[in-house]
Amino acid sequence: MEKLNSADAVDVKKLGFFGDLVEKCYTLMDNKKIKWTVLAVILGLMILFPFTTTNYWISVVQNAMFFALLAMGLNVIVGYTGLCHFGYAAKFAIGAYTTAVLVRQFGWDFWLTLPVAVVTSILAAIIIGGPTLRLRSDYLAIVTLGFGEIVRITARNLQITGAASGLSGIRRPSFFGIHLTSVTHWYYVFLVLVVIYIIVSYRIKNSRFGRALEYIREDEDAAQAMGINTTKFKLFAFIVGSVMGGIAGSFFTVRMGAISPQSFQFLMSANILLAVVLGGMGKIPGVILGAAFISMFPEFFRNVPFVGDARMLFFGLLLVIVMIRRPQGLWPDRRR
Amino acid sequence: MALMEVKGLTMRFGGIVAVDGLDFEVEEGTITALIGPNGAGKTSAFNCLTGFYKPTSGSITYRGESMIDLKPHQITYKKILRTFQNVRLFKEMSVLENVMSGAHSISNQFVYGALTRSKSARKEEREILENAERCLDFIGILDKKDKVAKNLSYGDQRRTEWARALAAKPDLLLLDEPAAGLNAEEKGKLIELIRRFRKELGITVFLIEHDMSLVMEISEKITVLNFGKKIAEGTPAEVQSNPLVIDAYLGTGDDDDEEGSPWVK
Repeated sequence: MEKLNSADAVDVKKLGFFGDLVEKCYTLMDNKKIKWTVLAVILGLMILFPFTTTNYWISVVQNAMFFALLAMGLNVIVGYTGLCHFGYAAKFAIGAYTTAVLVRQFGWDFWLTLPVAVVTSILAAIIIGGPTLRLRSDYLAIVTLGFGEIVRITARNLQITGAASGLSGIRRPSFFGIHLTSVTHWYYVFLVLVVIYIIVSYRIKNSRFGRALEYIREDEDAAQAMGINTTKFKLFAFIVGSVMGGIAGSFFTVRMGAISPQSFQFLMSANILLAVVLGGMGKIPGVILGAAFISMFPEFFRNVPFVGDARMLFFGLLLVIVMIRRPQGLWPDRRR
Repeated sequence: MALMEVKGLTMRFGGIVAVDGLDFEVEEGTITALIGPNGAGKTSAFNCLTGFYKPTSGSITYRGESMIDLKPHQITYKKILRTFQNVRLFKEMSVLENVMSGAHSISNQFVYGALTRSKSARKEEREILENAERCLDFIGILDKKDKVAKNLSYGDQRRTEWARALAAKPDLLLLDEPAAGLNAEEKGKLIELIRRFRKELGITVFLIEHDMSLVMEISEKITVLNFGKKIAEGTPAEVQSNPLVIDAYLGTGDDDDEEGSPWVK
């Protein structure tokens, strides 16, 4: 730890070209006008994007946005609070199955299933978090891993969830008279969700609640000494992360029109965690870019000769290199 | 009635008795110290007071209420704040954010307030921020508020920790070896600061320390601990002239004596 600290102290003095650039960008962003202009331009480009490209790329980007939602939800648990969570796919499976079962088996309207999905997500978080959040983080990792598998296997074996083949023919909802069927419709739905999730993430980060989570991540004893009931705050981090995953799962269900236990394998949990760690735990832009990278990288290289077939191999290699060179994640920090 | 009363405090780890039947009191508005050679049981006693250890037996009362079954965060809510022997800051966060943590126990916004950013939530945020800045100003490191805690010098890290404890508006401040690692000049500033805590903020201070010069200069009452037991109690002058204390710190002169100073080992 001491070594790390002294290395950081050196970094402050000599930033290098890239470090200077980062510092300049941060300084520029201190100006509120410039910051909001940049954000407006990015949002504008995202809105215009579907008019410039094919359905294939629209759905690739939409999928990346779905991934970003999950990553932002997991970020509350892993990034802010520093808890290990290896079963996040289960959290969005719960939202997804709640909606799927209610729409397909009971004929509910999609929008009405959302509050139910929120409730089931909260219950799942309390059931799994209540007894386990007292555990040290490595045990928590094992428990969440097990939980992820339990949810998937339960879904595979219940009749109501369609067993191994899952549920299909889930009716797509309407929104103020627009029947959400096309790829472009869903692109915009997910764009709106991403904007909402970003606002939620920032609001949590800059609040007494969010800071308490970060204090727990940094030093649990010191956090307790400042009056933070660590068990309670960890549980609420779990609940918030779970609800964010559950809602994303509900939308995933109706967008796909079908779900099966295949969608919630351990690989999915691992990929979401990877997005958070790769982008930079706790840093919202980093987490979003991490999610975009994880979900889009294989698509970009699909058609490149030689690389195409072995793209997952290169993907893995790249991740290893990134994690060795930048263990704190890709998104650069300000040097203060 | 004393602000805090400790009676028969005993802390046992397996066969080792770290604190053995310790009695002492902290009067409101005083600066009280618990001293003793290395390994005397000071830190174990301190951890019992702050709820980090659960004592084997004995009682600790604060304003007449028992504190034995309270968890560390509940003790903080009683306006008893502590610092750590090896500075424990939130390393990756800014100095300001570190000090804002102090206000946790005197504010109450939760998830709902965070998401809706209601009027009361924003007002409380502003108060937390202003309170933190006032505390940094009091300690004299307001100019460093935007620095990341891990990049501060050691002395400034200590100061940040004091500011963080102050931000909780404590009635009783428990300092765990506050002078550890400070140079002579910084110690001088610390003495002045501890006096200002009491004079300007009305805080009762209790510290454990083995730096004798600091303790003798600021405390009004000193309890001396050796091998987990209280061997003396009184004003700095009384304690300094007590033969048992001199023995504990300097040894009896007989190195074969089993009860000799732990320094001789």
